[in-house]
Amino acid sequence: MTARTRASAALLGLVALLSAGCASRGPVLDPLVAGRHPSSIELDGTPFFPQQQYQCGPAALATVLAASGAAVTPEALVAEVYLPGRRGSLQPELTAAARRHGRVPYVLPPDEDALVATVAAGLPVLLLQKLGAGPLPGWHYAVLVGYDAPRDRFVLRSGTERRKEMSGPQFLATWDRAGRWALVALLPGVLPPAADFARYMEAVAGLEAVGRGETAAPAYAAAARRWPAEPLPRLALANLDYARGDLAAAERGFHAAAQLDPQDAAARNNRAEVLRQLGCMTAARREIEVARALAVGGPLAPAVESTARQIAEQAQGDAVGCPAD
Amino acid sequence: MSKRFVVYVLCLAVLNLGSPLAAQAGMVSTLQAVEASTRVRDLATVNAALAREEVRAQFAALGVEPTQVESRVAALTDSELRTLAGQMGEMPAGADALAVIGIVFLVLLILEAVGVIDVFKKFP
Repeated sequence: MTARTRASAALLGLVALLSAGCASRGPVLDPLVAGRHPSSIELDGTPFFPQQQYQCGPAALATVLAASGAAVTPEALVAEVYLPGRRGSLQPELTAAARRHGRVPYVLPPDEDALVATVAAGLPVLLLQKLGAGPLPGWHYAVLVGYDAPRDRFVLRSGTERRKEMSGPQFLATWDRAGRWALVALLPGVLPPAADFARYMEAVAGLEAVGRGETAAPAYAAAARRWPAEPLPRLALANLDYARGDLAAAERGFHAAAQLDPQDAAARNNRAEVLRQLGCMTAARREIEVARALAVGGPLAPAVESTARQIAEQAQGDAVGCPAD
Repeated sequence: MSKRFVVYVLCLAVLNLGSPLAAQAGMVSTLQAVEASTRVRDLATVNAALAREEVRAQFAALGVEPTQVESRVAALTDSELRTLAGQMGEMPAGADALAVIGIVFLVLLILEAVGVIDVFKKFP
């Protein structure tokens, strides 16, 4: 045996060792695609930013942000997400940075179905992989840009490789070991395929919480159309109306939310507060009493009590044009 | 005495930074409504203002430029702050694939040292 063949034999053995546990599984993409999605897809237009050392976080984030139309470079993102002391980037900072660039950071449900459906819908997915083990975990961010079900291959923008292919079982194993974390950066107003209501609303509300309420508006409007029976998107839009100072529009929005769910203490509380500011004290009193009964003992109780105190302190009477109900 | 007073005022101001909506008495923010209606909250464990302080300190300790610490803290939501607080040293920090290459190199080196393989002879 020459040195070269012995070395390659050792390498082969090592590779087999590292991928042990995957070898016995059959193809993973076939059942995932199964007539619901195209059998192969590749988002060729997804930009590629080869990473600098340790900086796959900025590179992967720049990839999905640029794919959504944002003008960013990995170099500019280093200052936002790179953590020198960890020689890497942490997940919450990637979602935060996506918001800073006006995108909705939607974290996918932790299943491979969502991963495949999202790429099939034309959205590249930023994900975390664990490539190593033990003292060298090898945490790595890459961007899923396609798959080929007949060959059972996933296609990634990864590190310095523009087009990295990984076998189905191998790829899913690295994603699984990293906790099945995956993120899309959505232009506000664009919904992910099979969007999960709670996940989506939390992602959008984050924008507002860091002072980007106007950016969130089209996303709430899209949610109100997609889930017409849910009061939360209407409450969110009404909160934006309120922040703009449009009390009449806010009152209508809170009223609509409370009609969708008469048990919604937040909508009733906010409507009561707006009615108070409009000088509609009869309606405000009626609404806050309902809210109090609904919120008692719950997380919103302090806010409702504070509204109730303010309404109690204000003189009775109704301005012109107050709602009858 | 007056210096101490200024410190107290500044402390209060810093604590207030974390909750811009708390100042609007009575209104329930969308994020509050989302948290109240869609998931179990673990607010009891870590207070958001404390989490913010801790994350700020950790950023500085982990080498973030002082001029960038504030804007990075400000970009995080309360729930992200609570996730980060106390865990920034242990959370997965996605870096690159070099670690795996490192493992392969290490194994090759060991195999070389015990005489199983013979690949490094050319570089004496």
